Amino acid sequence: MHELSICQSMLEIVEKTMVEHPNATLERIFLDIGRGSTVESTLLSEAFEVITSGGPYEGVELVINDIPIAGRCRSCERDFTYEEFALGCPSCGSTDIEIHSGLELDIKHLEINED
Amino acid sequence: MSKVNVEKKILSENDRVAIENRQRFSDAGALVFNIISSPGSGKTTLLEATLDRLADRTKILVIEGDVSTERDMDRVRAHGADGIQINTGGGCHLSAKMIRDVLGELALEAADIVFIENVGNLICPSTYDLGEDIRMVLLSTAEGDDKPMKYPSIFHEAELAIITKIDLLPYLEFDVEKVGTEIGVLNPECEVLELSALKGEGMDVWIEWIRKRLEMKRAACSAAGE
Repeated sequence: MHELSICQSMLEIVEKTMVEHPNATLERIFLDIGRGSTVESTLLSEAFEVITSGGPYEGVELVINDIPIAGRCRSCERDFTYEEFALGCPSCGSTDIEIHSGLELDIKHLEINED
Repeated sequence: MSKVNVEKKILSENDRVAIENRQRFSDAGALVFNIISSPGSGKTTLLEATLDRLADRTKILVIEGDVSTERDMDRVRAHGADGIQINTGGGCHLSAKMIRDVLGELALEAADIVFIENVGNLICPSTYDLGEDIRMVLLSTAEGDDKPMKYPSIFHEAELAIITKIDLLPYLEFDVEKVGTEIGVLNPECEVLELSALKGEGMDVWIEWIRKRLEMKRAACSAAGE
């Protein structure tokens, strides 16, 4: 359960970004979280609520873009997506595959209110 | 409502500190391992057996990560290692900053090898770069042969996987070949070794593996220093 420390790291980036917008209110934080990133979206949202409770970011919405594991089979050259890590290409069964996405743990952008 | 672009890895600060750590380790010419496994798979026992075979010719430092107690540090000290214990106080992984904060207390310049024994956990530590050269994962035969697919991330990230406690194979239904195949699919570059730290089987191959990597690291460090 490292979602709390992931949340702390995320908030450090948010705080640094918000310094440049001192009169704005933070409304939403947009994240890309890959299925293979070891971070669980529900736990991350819960951790975020706990960590922001009573502070300036209480009530801020966490918008998580849940990214499946996607790759390409080097044998049959088909692209595929997985909900979770799996063994081999879903089309031909080959184990000669490469993973392109699904490991993301990124903060993409913020939505702020400047009035 | 306006949009502010950020486009950063959430762990970018950890990654930045890890790069600093890696540079400090390289400046000292030390080969650094980050050892990850579930609790009880034999990380400390492997370190003890490794120290018994290397500590007379090789200067080894150990950084022990545990939620609490100095027990693991006491164990490896008894086998000839210097080092330091980090207690995370509930934290489920080590971070690059935790490593940076103890580097000043270690005689890094004299070290050939640094073993970082991460907190026993197969999930969380796999996300945190500490600045190591080699991320390795241990899987004991007693845990079952379904671990790579149940905890794929660490096997996807690791450069070396060691199947431990192979002396127990006669008493267990553990398919070594299946585990090797599944790790190979998750990560074709991951090497797989099998050993029993307690009985000694397979230890020679592991020690040889370390020696080779130490030579490679020294060659890389001296080339960088020239």
